[in-house]
Amino acid sequence: MNPLYFGFGILLLALTGTAEYRGWSFTPVNENKVAPKSIRDNPGAYRSSYGGYSRYIGGK
Amino acid sequence: MATVATPKALACPNCGGPIEIRGYAHTLSVVCPGCLTVLDATNPQLAILQMFQGQQRILPGIPLGSRGTFEATVWEVIGFQIREVTTEDARYGWSEYLLFNPYKGFRYLSEYNGHWNYIRVLSALPEKTMDRGNKLARYQGKTFAHFDHAPARTTYVLGEFPWQVVVGETAEVDDYVAPPLMLSSETMAGEITWSLGEYYTGQQIWRAFKLPGYPSPAMGVFANQPSPMAAKVRSLWTTWLWLTILLAAMFFYFTASAARQEVFRDSYTMTPGTASAAPFVTKDFTLTGRTSNLEIDTSTNINNDWVYFNFALINQDTGQARDFGREVSRYQDEGSSRDRVVLPRVPPGKYYLRIEPEKTAGSAFLYYEIVIRRDVPRLGWFLLAFFVLFIPPVFASLRAFAFENARWRDSDHPRVTSGGSD
Repeated sequence: MNPLYFGFGILLLALTGTAEYRGWSFTPVNENKVAPKSIRDNPGAYRSSYGGYSRYIGGK
Repeated sequence: MATVATPKALACPNCGGPIEIRGYAHTLSVVCPGCLTVLDATNPQLAILQMFQGQQRILPGIPLGSRGTFEATVWEVIGFQIREVTTEDARYGWSEYLLFNPYKGFRYLSEYNGHWNYIRVLSALPEKTMDRGNKLARYQGKTFAHFDHAPARTTYVLGEFPWQVVVGETAEVDDYVAPPLMLSSETMAGEITWSLGEYYTGQQIWRAFKLPGYPSPAMGVFANQPSPMAAKVRSLWTTWLWLTILLAAMFFYFTASAARQEVFRDSYTMTPGTASAAPFVTKDFTLTGRTSNLEIDTSTNINNDWVYFNFALINQDTGQARDFGREVSRYQDEGSSRDRVVLPRVPPGKYYLRIEPEKTAGSAFLYYEIVIRRDVPRLGWFLLAFFVLFIPPVFASLRAFAFENARWRDSDHPRVTSGGSD
């Protein structure tokens, strides 16, 4: 056993366990912002961060 | 501890200089330190065997008469010689020191580029053999790999020797290595002598002889120099194995204990270009427990078609929105009519989803189902940890490999050969 590498490995495993337990991700797919309260009454008024530019425009 | 006796003093018949004989009856030839004449020590008049005019004087790194301790025995340096090998490409030489103890006999020290070997002559014969085309020698259960073969010529002598030493004498030398040991066979006039050397550092030699100053630093990698990485590589891979087992156990634990709790399920339809294509919000759903991930699983009926969803996961209490867009496309065998995405770090609370489907106007009717699951197991972090764990042992293995390549580079069997150019 290599104590230095073992220590490093245990730290890495602890980090991995924490990341998995807390649901962390290294590829975030979302942005956070505060949505207006009226969104439930008028869903069309909400402008999504992804709306308008990341939609699919092609096809075969 | 065995001790060393005081030397016998004589005079050189050539220059009259004093000569000390430390090996007594064992000494067959002695070199005058004043004129470097080789004398026959078995002759009471010290008959001249070989004379030199104007030969360059070389001072041994360990002076003759120095006493050092090896294997709990005091040894005295009584002889020194330089031997050389000449090849087509280069000429290189090394020093050999003859050590004497009246009760234990003779030992040798060799030095090349700061690398040392403590050598004893063997009385038992090693077994020479071949394995898959490789020349090997076996001795006392150890297997030694053939390193090189070369004619070694004596070019300089000083002190006394238990044989009739002659400058210019040549022996065919074969070296076999099993670090830190080296077996050597010397063939001269049909007689083969085997010896076993053990690698020493310059610091160890200096400590053994209590010499002042510091030894010359070792240059390059010597034939039987122990790899500083070999033990480290073994220990790193052993540790890697345990850590990987631990990582696998963690993965299975998290996979088995993940809640995978279904918190929402609903299905919808959409006809492009109609009111059903307008954005809408879902019913509320409640996330409980700790902060965890959330999987949005979207199944559709598309075939040779595409659909794009603008999603927003909105916390009803705080108004915090998490926007994400997902494209679902399937054309013949490519793509999929289903999409899954995992949102990280979603705290507990009451949520709803805003959905804005987009599809080409006039395209086919869309049916889709949204399933939301809480706390789903993910492989990503474990895969990343698995690859990061690889880095130290792989790096150490590469260094060990480079060390072995350097060891064998100057042998008759280099492991990596450089390509020549015409």
